[in-house]
Amino acid sequence: MSELRIEATINGRKVKRTAQPHQRLLDFLRDDLHLTGAKEGCGAGECGTCSVFVDGVLKKSCLVPVGKAQGTNIETVESLAMGNDLSVLQQAFHKAGASQCGYCIPGMVMAATAAMRANPFAGREEIKERLGGNICRCTGYQKIIDAVELARDVQNGRLPISALAELDQEDGKFIGANIRRLDAPSKVSGALKYAADMTMPNMLHLQVLRSPHPHARIVSIDTSQAEAMDGVEGVITCADVPGEDGFGVFVHDQPIMARDKVRYVGEAVAAVASEDPVIARRALEKIKVVYEPLPALFDIDAAMAKDAPVLHDYAPDNVTKHIPIRVGDIEQGFAESDLVIEETYSTQAIEHAYLEPEAGLAYVDPDGVVTVISPSQNITHHRHMLSKIIAQPINKVRFIMSPVGGGFGGKEDMIYQGMLALMAMKTRRPVRLVFTREESIASTAKRHPSRTVLKMGLMSDGRIRALQLNMICDGGAYGLSSEGVMRKAAILGAGPYNIPHLRVDTLALYTNNTPSGAFRSFGALQTQFATETTLDMAAERLGLDPFEIRRVNAMRNGATTHTKQKLKSVSLLRVLEAAAKGSNWEAGIPTSRGDTRTDMGGEGLRPACTLGARFETIEATEPQSEVA
Amino acid sequence: MARKHGRGMAACWYGIARTATVDRASAFAEIDDGGTVKVLTGVTEIGEGILTVLAQIAAEEVGVRPQDVTIGDNDTARSPEAAHAGATRQTYMIGNVVAMACSEARQRLAEVIAKQWDVDVDLIETANGEIWARGTNHRMTMSDAVHCAKSKGVVPVGSGSFGTDTTGLDPVDGSGRPWQAYVYGCQVAEVEVDTITGEVQVLGMWAAHDVGRAVNPRGVEGQIEGGIVQALGQGLMEDYQLQNGHTTTPGFAKYILPTSLDVPRITSIIVEDPDPIGRLGVKGIGEPAMVPTIPAIMNAIYDAVGVRITSLPASPEKVLEAIKRKEAETRQHAMQAAE
Repeated sequence: MSELRIEATINGRKVKRTAQPHQRLLDFLRDDLHLTGAKEGCGAGECGTCSVFVDGVLKKSCLVPVGKAQGTNIETVESLAMGNDLSVLQQAFHKAGASQCGYCIPGMVMAATAAMRANPFAGREEIKERLGGNICRCTGYQKIIDAVELARDVQNGRLPISALAELDQEDGKFIGANIRRLDAPSKVSGALKYAADMTMPNMLHLQVLRSPHPHARIVSIDTSQAEAMDGVEGVITCADVPGEDGFGVFVHDQPIMARDKVRYVGEAVAAVASEDPVIARRALEKIKVVYEPLPALFDIDAAMAKDAPVLHDYAPDNVTKHIPIRVGDIEQGFAESDLVIEETYSTQAIEHAYLEPEAGLAYVDPDGVVTVISPSQNITHHRHMLSKIIAQPINKVRFIMSPVGGGFGGKEDMIYQGMLALMAMKTRRPVRLVFTREESIASTAKRHPSRTVLKMGLMSDGRIRALQLNMICDGGAYGLSSEGVMRKAAILGAGPYNIPHLRVDTLALYTNNTPSGAFRSFGALQTQFATETTLDMAAERLGLDPFEIRRVNAMRNGATTHTKQKLKSVSLLRVLEAAAKGSNWEAGIPTSRGDTRTDMGGEGLRPACTLGARFETIEATEPQSEVA
Repeated sequence: MARKHGRGMAACWYGIARTATVDRASAFAEIDDGGTVKVLTGVTEIGEGILTVLAQIAAEEVGVRPQDVTIGDNDTARSPEAAHAGATRQTYMIGNVVAMACSEARQRLAEVIAKQWDVDVDLIETANGEIWARGTNHRMTMSDAVHCAKSKGVVPVGSGSFGTDTTGLDPVDGSGRPWQAYVYGCQVAEVEVDTITGEVQVLGMWAAHDVGRAVNPRGVEGQIEGGIVQALGQGLMEDYQLQNGHTTTPGFAKYILPTSLDVPRITSIIVEDPDPIGRLGVKGIGEPAMVPTIPAIMNAIYDAVGVRITSLPASPEKVLEAIKRKEAETRQHAMQAAE
């Protein structure tokens, strides 16, 4: 197809360029005009990180073919701060603490700007609805909505401009003060460069060939046709790894690219580098891999079955890790109990869904130091592992952490940095890899799906006498953080309560599913969900208020934990009191008494959502609460 | 439309920093020309606001303002080890080492200036870019103080290293000291359940968390709000699905995440029980913020409609099915009673 000629006004300047017909407006802005404030979060119009104005209308630029930009007036986030002054809205985002990782923020600022242009008097519920097309994974949205309300009130003269300024700390005491985030201006203006925004002279683009099979033996890989293609600068496979080929947070069971076998769909098998990412993608199709499919394991029961296929030779029973905790005599504990409750809980796999898909840039510096820039949550450990993988001394490996567009544990795994390093070493050129959202979802770790059987024995006064917790998790194809997740799940699972007889077992198993790994709250979320729900059931059966049953069992100052550690100060009773008081909790037995309780419908609630019913100006109204 | 309301609560605990292993971190600090401060440490921002937290700590320790602090971070070839960004460890581990490094640099500067003024070093005070000797009229800017120190051949630098007194777990009974600092939390959820559709809306959350000492309370709220909404996603809608190893939720059109329309009003209640070991008394909040959310919501659903959801997520389909099952059981009991 022939090139397009694009003439448009972009941020107030006339631009005349040629463009490729396959480009999207987002590519044109980022790659050709170096306006990287608009980010790519999903490439499918779902997340809003790429929002811009086209002729004054808010658009997701990943859905606009570049040809549609012809003759239009385009405004990007870079246009909002004129000169060096942030707009009122950007200043309000800064003041309110509305940015965390910052990756969604340029898009969010554009959507909020559109909302204020559409209705400068929009109320809180209307603001929420107008931001509904933009996803944020860090903030929980509350401070973003607060920021838009603050900007609205300053713009309308309800609040002075000084409401946006930093507070003075005349006594020089800054610990405990709501200091505005120092990195917020770079985030609200779109100036901050994440790994996918970085370029280097002579840079190549990496693309990865991924396994279509959950479990298969690799019979052969033939890269010759790909290597022969015009524009291809390098192809790598496991054969290019010079050292010990294995990584993982605890056990190094995962090769940089599949070696002999693939163990999950999406596993890296080979990678290609080219100056043009399109050529690199075409070259992937020329790599011939012959697979011999093997029987695969898709759930924990199959993994535990007798004669189940073995996924890793070192683990013949498919157990990634088992953590036991034992206190007292569990059978005696249940025998002594007045009430025994047993329940099975299950939790699902969860995607981190950080708005920044994985990306990285690697190069070999003039002194031969292999350097990887990426949003890694663990550059220290990655350096250790890569040094062994490429068989170089540790000071010949350098990791630089680029701004992280959300991590939540998902960027602790060295899932792609090894390929970048190997390709930089092979081609002696800088190489960049940017995951698509689909690649990120299919190939990176998830929260461990779990099945927990919890048995709790209690005395009639509410004291827990015995607790048995058995959690089995699907760890997926590789170990990653499974061992640590099982440990934390086990240590914390029974909760901060005094329990004389305890038996906890947490177990992660290998399967051919997407690997499970580190995820904010690391196993403790799954096990404490089980314990805290069972406590509610116990409170109902024993006629106790849910706060009371926790007070009865609470660890106090000087308590001994389930791992026999002596604690000093324990704040649990203070925290329980603070929550009961703060929520104005009405004590009572949890017998599904929602219809009769009198502590609901007060302050601290949002109105229930009824889409579209709330487009009204702030003058018109306090939002109508639908709470009965 | 039948909308029922209910409330539920749950508590939690959590360990701070790496689990069942010795955690460690380090930092370098220099009080630089112009009375600014340079801090080097090996790992930092993943969005939680740690750069600002470290700048606040450095500013208060040295006696400058947070905007005078530059954090040179996250480069294994240029900064000392601070291990990783995770495990609710950054404010605890890195915050404490930055305070130690800054304190040492400040002490080096204070000694030079005390000698210059011929006063006891313990009389030296610093704050907001100024240095003075208590009970005297000696006073100058930090900028001048740095110049003065350098003219005497002293560059005011310092370093800090902090390790935890922790152990692994016994392989048989699990005994050990996995952490030296623990935090506790409690959350209350108020929900509305639509008994026609099964949809659950969380209208309000109250979250009380012990963080040791809040360096930046707004940042702590941000962690609590973000944690609660992530947990709400897992509790009510998110579900990564596979079929024979192939995902059927490959993008955000199929993998449903909470948006601004799904989030409750969140009231954070910060409780401070200072850590007795670390210099600053700080602990952490990143991960514990999301631990009690799901059971609090599930207990609230029970309060509203009398069904226990023990398998996540509590999707409208699942909640509706549970409500129908309960209604059928209730009818059956009524019929049996009538017979």
